[in-house]
Amino acid sequence: MNRALAPAFLGSLGSRRLTTLLSMLAIALGIALGVAVQVIHDAALDEFDHGMRTLSGEADLQIVGPRGGFADALFEIVVLRPEVAAASPLLETEARLFGEARMLRVIGVDIFRLAEVQPVLFPQPAAGEDRFAALRDDAIFLSPGAMQALGLKAGDTLRLQSGLEPLPLRVAGGVPGMAGQQVAVMDIAAAQHRFGRAGMISRIDLRLREGLDLTAGREALGPLLPAGVQVLAPERARQQAAGLSRAYRVNLTMLAVIALVTGGFLVFSTQALSVVRRRTEFAFLRAIGLARQELMRWLLAEGALVGAIGAAAGVALGYGLAAAALTLLGGDLGAGYFAGITPRLAFEPIVVAVFLALGTVAGVVGAWLPAREAATVSPAMALKSGGDAAALGGGRRHPGWALGAALLAGAACLVPPWAGIPVGGYVAVALLLAAGVFALPMLAARLSRVLAPLRMVPVTLARSRLAAVPGHVVVAGAGVLASAALAVAMAIMVASFRHSVDDWLAQILPAELYARGARAGSSGYFDPAAQALIAGTPGVAKVDFIRHDTVLLAPDRPAVVLIARPLTADGRELPLVGERVATDRPVWISEAVADLYGYGAGDTIGLPLAGELREFTVAGVWRDYARQSGAIMIPLERYRTLSGDRLANDAALHLLPGETPAAVAARLRERFGGEALELAQAGEIRAISLRIFDRTFAVTYLLEAVAVVIGLFGVAASFAALAAARRREFGMLRHIGLTRRQVGLMLATEGALTAAAGALGGLVVGGAISLVLVEVVNRQSFHWSMDFRVPFGTLAAFCVTLVLLAALAAVLAGRQAMRQEAVMAVKEDW
Amino acid sequence: MGRMWCWLLLVVTLPALAVDYPPVRPGRSVSLPADTGAHPGYRTEWWYVTGWLDDEAGVQRGFQITFFRVRTGIGEQAPGRFSPAQLILAHAAVADAAQGRLLHAERSARASGLLAGAATGRTHAWVGDWRLEERDGVFIAEVSAREFSYSLALEPSQPPMLNGRAGFSQKAPDPRHASYYYSRPQLAVSGEVTVDGKRHVVTGRAWLDQEWSSELMPEGARGWDWVGLNLDDGGALMAFRMRDGEGRALWSAGTLRTPGEPDRPLAPSEVSFEVLERWRSPRTGAEYPVHLRVRAGGRVLELTALMPDQELDSRRSTGAVYWEGAVRVIEAGREIGRGYLEMTGYLETIRM
Amino acid sequence: MLEFVDLTRRFGGPGGRVVIDRLSLRLEAGEYVAVTGESGVGKSTLLNLLAGLDKPDSGAVRLDGVELGMLDDDALTRWRRDQLGFVFQAFHVLPHLTLAQNVALPLWLQGEQGPASVAAATAMLDAVGLEGRAASWPSELSGGELQRVAIARALVHKPRLVLADEPTGNLDPHRAGQVLGLLRERIRAAGAIGILVTHSLEAAATADRVLRLTGDALLPLEPTR
Repeated sequence: MNRALAPAFLGSLGSRRLTTLLSMLAIALGIALGVAVQVIHDAALDEFDHGMRTLSGEADLQIVGPRGGFADALFEIVVLRPEVAAASPLLETEARLFGEARMLRVIGVDIFRLAEVQPVLFPQPAAGEDRFAALRDDAIFLSPGAMQALGLKAGDTLRLQSGLEPLPLRVAGGVPGMAGQQVAVMDIAAAQHRFGRAGMISRIDLRLREGLDLTAGREALGPLLPAGVQVLAPERARQQAAGLSRAYRVNLTMLAVIALVTGGFLVFSTQALSVVRRRTEFAFLRAIGLARQELMRWLLAEGALVGAIGAAAGVALGYGLAAAALTLLGGDLGAGYFAGITPRLAFEPIVVAVFLALGTVAGVVGAWLPAREAATVSPAMALKSGGDAAALGGGRRHPGWALGAALLAGAACLVPPWAGIPVGGYVAVALLLAAGVFALPMLAARLSRVLAPLRMVPVTLARSRLAAVPGHVVVAGAGVLASAALAVAMAIMVASFRHSVDDWLAQILPAELYARGARAGSSGYFDPAAQALIAGTPGVAKVDFIRHDTVLLAPDRPAVVLIARPLTADGRELPLVGERVATDRPVWISEAVADLYGYGAGDTIGLPLAGELREFTVAGVWRDYARQSGAIMIPLERYRTLSGDRLANDAALHLLPGETPAAVAARLRERFGGEALELAQAGEIRAISLRIFDRTFAVTYLLEAVAVVIGLFGVAASFAALAAARRREFGMLRHIGLTRRQVGLMLATEGALTAAAGALGGLVVGGAISLVLVEVVNRQSFHWSMDFRVPFGTLAAFCVTLVLLAALAAVLAGRQAMRQEAVMAVKEDW
Repeated sequence: MGRMWCWLLLVVTLPALAVDYPPVRPGRSVSLPADTGAHPGYRTEWWYVTGWLDDEAGVQRGFQITFFRVRTGIGEQAPGRFSPAQLILAHAAVADAAQGRLLHAERSARASGLLAGAATGRTHAWVGDWRLEERDGVFIAEVSAREFSYSLALEPSQPPMLNGRAGFSQKAPDPRHASYYYSRPQLAVSGEVTVDGKRHVVTGRAWLDQEWSSELMPEGARGWDWVGLNLDDGGALMAFRMRDGEGRALWSAGTLRTPGEPDRPLAPSEVSFEVLERWRSPRTGAEYPVHLRVRAGGRVLELTALMPDQELDSRRSTGAVYWEGAVRVIEAGREIGRGYLEMTGYLETIRM
Repeated sequence: MLEFVDLTRRFGGPGGRVVIDRLSLRLEAGEYVAVTGESGVGKSTLLNLLAGLDKPDSGAVRLDGVELGMLDDDALTRWRRDQLGFVFQAFHVLPHLTLAQNVALPLWLQGEQGPASVAAATAMLDAVGLEGRAASWPSELSGGELQRVAIARALVHKPRLVLADEPTGNLDPHRAGQVLGLLRERIRAAGAIGILVTHSLEAAATADRVLRLTGDALLPLEPTR
């Protein structure tokens, strides 16, 4: 490429600063979002990975069981095996800070077994502590991260909750090896004793005898393990964490990609128009000897430059966003997958390079069609006819392509997920967008016909213009369509989701008042005495006690939550979906279990309870929005009979008529002390859940708004560019008797029609995309179904607003051209 | 790793006494074989074997194995598999002149079922696959570590030797600082030693000490020197001195066995140590008297180390630095026996 | 009747350059005159003043008794819509309208949308020699044909005054002759007043009268015929 020509091309970007800036901004936004999501996630995952690696230390294998743990007798059996060189038992507890909602991960360790397997967990007694400090049952050691998060130092007292009682522990030192993590370490016997988990451990990390491979080790140890306990290679934990958060990350990344695509459309719009305006210029350059290919390359270079600068700004912005988000929300943007770790942001050259390339590609792709158009125009023709907006390219109608893309989208939906990612769903979304863009001119033509009865000259002119120059519709409307489709799809998906969650909450929370000890494997619970105390509280008609545990159904999948609660034989208390089966040994599985493990109603399922494999029949499938890895409901009585576990984590209290939840809650607090018991009214839980839901999706609303604004930028930019090109047309119209207002009305109609075509296309495409999101993307990512719910009112208001805004944008953009005196506009003729 | 570390444990755990340890009183005498097992009520107890080995090629090596039992006073109300109430700590070493330094390893665990423990009623202490066990009157010592391993049978050729007054061994002028203590000198050793990947069939002579107490270390003590010597004529000598900050003896005592005579307890005035030559450790800078003259019950014995570097530097794990090694016994210019010498407190004061 | 009296226009405010200096003229219906003059002599300014697109500093323009100075912007627009026809050098045929739609545009502006307007436009196209091309698109036409469309558009709504600005500037001599003939014929047929502005004496010669603009006067030029 002849560098000397650079000013002739790249310089043109400077002469249309606003539109160039808008294109860069759109690309920057898309890139920023993508970079932020990626970098945050990587930082979190890195730290998590680091944590997992340091936690499992030099372990070759890990023996893990349900969250409630398994009998510690297994440890001796394992250690004495000839295959095992060293082994270390662990008891992990999610301990609640007494009187607070915060949790702390407490790892009970045997310091005598750490050295060879998990040296990083070594507690380091503070100065003044004796050599046995790490064995004492009133001592706890905090990682630097935990010290900081809890605001504690050696010698302070940390109050955790055990059962319903406060458990004061002396901070006897640190865990220097766990710098990035928020964990606490204490003696394993102390942990068993103080957290009421006598005889239980939750994990054994082990190193195999030298020369023994992992498979041989697993085969040797596997048969020794009780049901529900498995021996795994330590990488699995990382894969699980990555898998869990991946769905969330993929969804955010998709939003970023949509912003990027919209940015690409904007580049397309501005380049297309700029090319039209410079037709004579190009014709001249071609006439004096610029090769067709070179012209095209230069125009692509313009797009690339816009994309690259936008991408560079986006990367910087993305890192800024990431830093802010990490400080404010944490590594999972508030979704809770990486609790207890403190991620650090790292510069990732590969990620940055990829996103820079993506932005540049978006710019080049956007510039592609206009560049080709400009390069194919015959210079003689262009020189003769001069600049004319009618030469706008991309105006061919592609009904066949639209149909083809839509059909392909349908096919893509049938593709099963790849590595847990709903790839087919995303492909379908892209294809649907493409179909919409292809169908846009047709839609615009249809729409103009609808306006035919409106016998107003400006409207007629606008209609005939859109009908005759569909390219303009595509240029100006594609951005609107993309952003509207996204917004509509998200709106429908979120509305469906919210409605379904609301219903689900109502069904899952039948009692008036809930008391919580805490989650499974954690430090709070109700023992039988506490249960009796609750049941005997005046005003309580009936109490359903709920016990949580986890079971491992497959070694390569995360543990499934086991929920034991009083249930009727037909499980009518549950939000069941689909077929039900009557059985005398029922369990009800959540949709995730059905999806992940392939169980259906009537199937026999084996569940390890207290180390024994018990058989159950799947009586039905229920909807669960709370546990992505799956959950299984089992009648409490049966669970207690089989497991011997009489503890409960939660209690659902049905009140006597006339009792208020507040009054009963006050009585309970009196009985148990205010801090030990977490009490919530069903209404509160519901309100809080929905508030969290809304807050989570607020981010997506914001992104949609940004996308829509970018789409409107597209309308404004294209109309501004076109208006300049159409100055003489406006002048002639003013000559022959159109009032200024009529020219404005014509532009507004054009803008509105364009936007309406975009919005209408967006509605249709968005509706289709929302179906894909609900039925394919969410189902495959999160394994839950929802009732399809279209918020018609919101969508109508949204579309009308969009059309009005687009009309306004068109008028504002055309105003400069209109303001010029008609005389001046045709001046070159006189 | 010597008594040193164990004493250290005793000292530093002192402030947080949660349980009543039985005191060591002069009235109670050691009764064998019942007392060869563990005494879990006492705060600390150890079985301590040292000896010399000759392999088939005539190469001489020293070996040592110690099992400590510690009652921590922690978690006794909450019994369980991982209760830290009783800890078993083991230490083993091989002194091989060809290696130029002491090879040593350690194991520790809470007493728990088959994993670690010390049986009562007979000598049997174990941590993982390390053990010291008496079977049909023969002691089995088995150790395997990264750098060495051995499996030895120790057969008594003489009756046990009760130290002090019928096993009541005073450690300081105040009789509160005392232990129950007996020795088994002149154990005939046979078995295998693997060093540097090479297995050797060995024979030799060893010495077993068992000692238990609740309170040992007197105030003002900086360290001690101890010897256990098997003499070629069938005699044996145990002698120790407790040193203060200036290197003076706070207390010393011993037991001398002469063939054909009753064992003779040695009063403080009958035992003294004289430094002949020092060796400076290149690692720690501590200077150890590796060449000593010991006067005990009228005998004047010169001790020379099998090799000068038998220092144990475990500052990173237990914090202790001391010397513990095989020595030759010279009397009147002639080697008359072999034994083990332990010297502590030459680098820093024991933390009180 | 078109009449302008003491028409004066200066640029650059009071004391600025005077382009049109107290110009007066009176034309009866059916008259077709050509105005010629050097470049920069004020031909465009004069046309703008006559079309009501520019306001004189002094003097008045009257068409059939209506004084333009008395009309506001909207009224002027309506006046142009009804009374004026334009033919431009660059044709200005809207590319996104068919020929008939382009021609019918003035009728639409008068509120006549429907078959009648299309019929009138088609008839007008027939009259300018574009029979059967009503549904064609401008992109299919040559320059001369486009200018015929423009002439049809300028006359379809039967204006009282047709202003033609260098209508043959973009055409070759052969086509120019045809277009000029057509323009004269159609203006005459419509009984309108025609003003043809051109710097080509050849083109000017097609008019009934030729006036030479000198800035402060419109001097009659002898017809070449």
